[in-house]
Amino acid sequence: MSGRGGRGGRGRGRGGPMMNGRRAVAANSTPWATMDTGIELDGKPAELFPPYKVPKAPVPNKKEEKQISYFLLFREQCHDSPLYTHSRTWVQDRSTTNKRTYGQDQINRRYGQSSEATVDAFNAVPTYSQQFQQTSRTLPDLSSWPFAKEFFPPELHATLDGEDEPANKRRKTGPKSLGLSNITSYKTAEDLEMEAAAEQAGGGAEHEDINKALELLNRVEKNTAEGGEDGFLSGEDDDDWVKNNEGDEDAESNAADSDEYDDESGDDYNAEQYFDEGDNDDYDDGGEDGGQYYD
Amino acid sequence: MLQVTTSLAELCSLLVDETYGELPSRIFSILLKKGRSTASQLKEYTAMPSRQLRHGLAVLQQHNLLYYHLDKPNGPAFYEANVEHAYNLVRVGKILEMVESTFGAPAKDVMQNLLLSGQTRVADLMAAYQEKIDRANNAKALDEELGITSLEDTDGVNGDSHPAKKSDLIIKSSAHLNSVICRLIEAELIDLCHAKTYETYDDIYETVEKEITATHFPGGVKGGKQKADYQKKLAEGLRQVRGESKSLKRKLEQNGLASKRRKIFQDLDLNGGVKQEEDSDPVLDPRQVIRVNYEKCSVELRSRRLVQFASDVFGDITSYVYGVLIKKITKDMPRCRLDPLVDVQGEDDEVNEPLAVSTDEILDSLKTSIDLSIGLGKPDWSKISAAATARVVEHAPKKKLHIEGATAVGDASSDEGEDSSDEEEVDGDYKPAMTNGVNGVNGMNGTKVPPKERKMDRRTQLRQHLFLLSESPQSFVRHSGPDEWTIDFGPVLTALRESELDAVIEETCGTQGLRLVHILRANGKLDEKALPNLVLMRKSDIQQKMLEMQRAGFVHVQEVPREPKADVKKSFFLWFCDVAMSKDQVLDTSYRAMVHCMQVLGTLREQEKDVLSTSKRTDVRGREQELMRKEYFERYSHFLKSERMLFHQLMKADELIAALRDY
Repeated sequence: MSGRGGRGGRGRGRGGPMMNGRRAVAANSTPWATMDTGIELDGKPAELFPPYKVPKAPVPNKKEEKQISYFLLFREQCHDSPLYTHSRTWVQDRSTTNKRTYGQDQINRRYGQSSEATVDAFNAVPTYSQQFQQTSRTLPDLSSWPFAKEFFPPELHATLDGEDEPANKRRKTGPKSLGLSNITSYKTAEDLEMEAAAEQAGGGAEHEDINKALELLNRVEKNTAEGGEDGFLSGEDDDDWVKNNEGDEDAESNAADSDEYDDESGDDYNAEQYFDEGDNDDYDDGGEDGGQYYD
Repeated sequence: MLQVTTSLAELCSLLVDETYGELPSRIFSILLKKGRSTASQLKEYTAMPSRQLRHGLAVLQQHNLLYYHLDKPNGPAFYEANVEHAYNLVRVGKILEMVESTFGAPAKDVMQNLLLSGQTRVADLMAAYQEKIDRANNAKALDEELGITSLEDTDGVNGDSHPAKKSDLIIKSSAHLNSVICRLIEAELIDLCHAKTYETYDDIYETVEKEITATHFPGGVKGGKQKADYQKKLAEGLRQVRGESKSLKRKLEQNGLASKRRKIFQDLDLNGGVKQEEDSDPVLDPRQVIRVNYEKCSVELRSRRLVQFASDVFGDITSYVYGVLIKKITKDMPRCRLDPLVDVQGEDDEVNEPLAVSTDEILDSLKTSIDLSIGLGKPDWSKISAAATARVVEHAPKKKLHIEGATAVGDASSDEGEDSSDEEEVDGDYKPAMTNGVNGVNGMNGTKVPPKERKMDRRTQLRQHLFLLSESPQSFVRHSGPDEWTIDFGPVLTALRESELDAVIEETCGTQGLRLVHILRANGKLDEKALPNLVLMRKSDIQQKMLEMQRAGFVHVQEVPREPKADVKKSFFLWFCDVAMSKDQVLDTSYRAMVHCMQVLGTLREQEKDVLSTSKRTDVRGREQELMRKEYFERYSHFLKSERMLFHQLMKADELIAALRDY
């Protein structure tokens, strides 16, 4: 019909005879009129989710199981290494970030920054169980790692020596050594089930004592093994806090050691100490130009 | 080298993220996106503070994920991403499993630590192991003092925090470690880092080129003869640079004992054998820096895949024989694919000529416990045509003539057309070869085959297996001379690739689709109108199937106009099937599938964030069952299960990718 909004007028004349306001259809004008009449048209709309045979992966065989376990163990040990950066700053909240990005700027903006401003106020109050939480590193701890410097470009050498820290934070590096990971297993679901079964069988109580004894042993051992380094650190650093939060592997053993609520945690209520905590993020106090990206 | 597509780039940065954390992965993905850049450029791209950037770069470099190039000794470095190494992270599990099954648990432990620490100075590795050994010794001493002896059963419960006891210490002493490293270097699985290790291939090429022009051709390269000479010098220079990483291996071999020791290593039980050899190993220079050689690893993985392939086709025993042969042949093969520039031109180099292994050598290294009579049919001798048996032996001289052609074809592409031309060549050469080899037949087969009725000696059985392998359409083995066997990797791998592709096609388009593809492969290009007659299917069915497969990228169509003025109705439509193109398609799909796996894992982690953070707590770790609430624990174990499944899928996809791309 005419696009100018007029139904009627001259258009009506051309449209053929009208019957009660509807146009009469000529006998053979519709496409389906010519088809054979036996056909029954299926007027149903297509199914929104038609049945679909989901292909199922075969169960891994023994060799593949082994390969997967080795990979997972490797990954776990990687995460244990001082070169691993724990922090995930990538904002995964879909509601606030657009899924699609255009250009590098937007991608960069996705990586949220962790600074005083981004602290989650609801979880920021120190709690007892936080001492068991993994200490997360925002920068790899290069100072304890022995590098083969000749294979690094010269511009990175200072960083490798741990001299890339701002002056007030710089700490003397201890003896460098390549620590082999202590993690020897990555739990599989089956392991957990087996464990559970064993637990239910009632063996648990007897082992309790032995476990405790073992733990004690470990502690003694670790202290003897890492005693030298410990002494070194505490000798250099007046600031206890730095030692506890930034010290490398011994942070973990410290956490394990302080089973009881010791005097360290008294600092929780020290307001100044509390705000100092923000300094922990290494993004902010970065060498020459850290601040400008995060203000 | 590796063609980096968007999906591959995404996959690699996800893999780096998974293993080494977010910071390196961000830098890595930018490097992939922007290509070669300096630190200041990277800073601009990533909007990171430069201190953070430098730390990230250091980590990447430590893990061998970067190339860098210096124009001036103290100038800024140009960084480039090492995609191969990043991708190989997904193969870590396979590599470790492979090392364990071939070299034993100690080698696996060393390999794992090398993979963990990236490039490592020998001295540092030694020191780390020494520390571990000392600690274990102390623990043992303490144990004895305290009188706690039977603690084995608690080990599992407390495993994570508890240092290894002397009894389960894998590397027992630094001499042991030394010998394990020597062994791995001899197997080329460990490489030496040298000055040019971290330069890209192009940079090395350029420096070598410059050097050669300056020293040998100051006036420029003129004329055909000079050009050939120049190419030869260039290849030699490149080979020399590449060979530097093997210098340690050569040194070990010069020591003279290497080959003998290797034999002991193979024959004896792994734990028992090591003891005797430790002393004879030269002490490695502690200043040397070593790293894992992924190229050789993929050669080893390829061998395993081929043995698997043979076992799918023939069965276990035959594939075992094949495994022994392949091990002998690939022993000194540094990489899966030859570099066209470096390898092909050196005529004197042994790289070109695949190693031939005699039947006796294979027989010597077969375990006696293997019963070779299994897996062989025993037809009546009268039913075996003499001509056919004779023909088997004939293969040697005839094939020798076109080795070069065969390997070149295999390397360049696996195209259908070339395959058929191959066939013709074979037929053409066949006649003269016949007369050549007759003597050989009389000499060897004549004496052995007829008299014994059923009982075959071991050697004959072995030969039967090898004949079986060489006669198969996949051409696993080539009978290169009287009683000598070799493998042409080109044709076997083409067959492997085709079978992998077939599996994918069957899975996506059904058996009918696979049948159509097979017909197309056999016939080359086919007109649309000729298809129904040949295929014996209804025209509409064919069209539907072909369209489906075209969408999936397995078949392609070409329009050829009949007249200069193209008319759709009159022109021919030729269907064809291009393995290379469908290979790219399948690769891309696999990359996407892998990326998807990683993304699913990320989402799962996000969902189970609270559970995971609980399980990572130092007091909970290792005692999840005791300390976690039941609901939490169930969620945790469910997460672990799905994680394993996802990685399983990842590795399956990698298997396909490896077969299509890397082998």
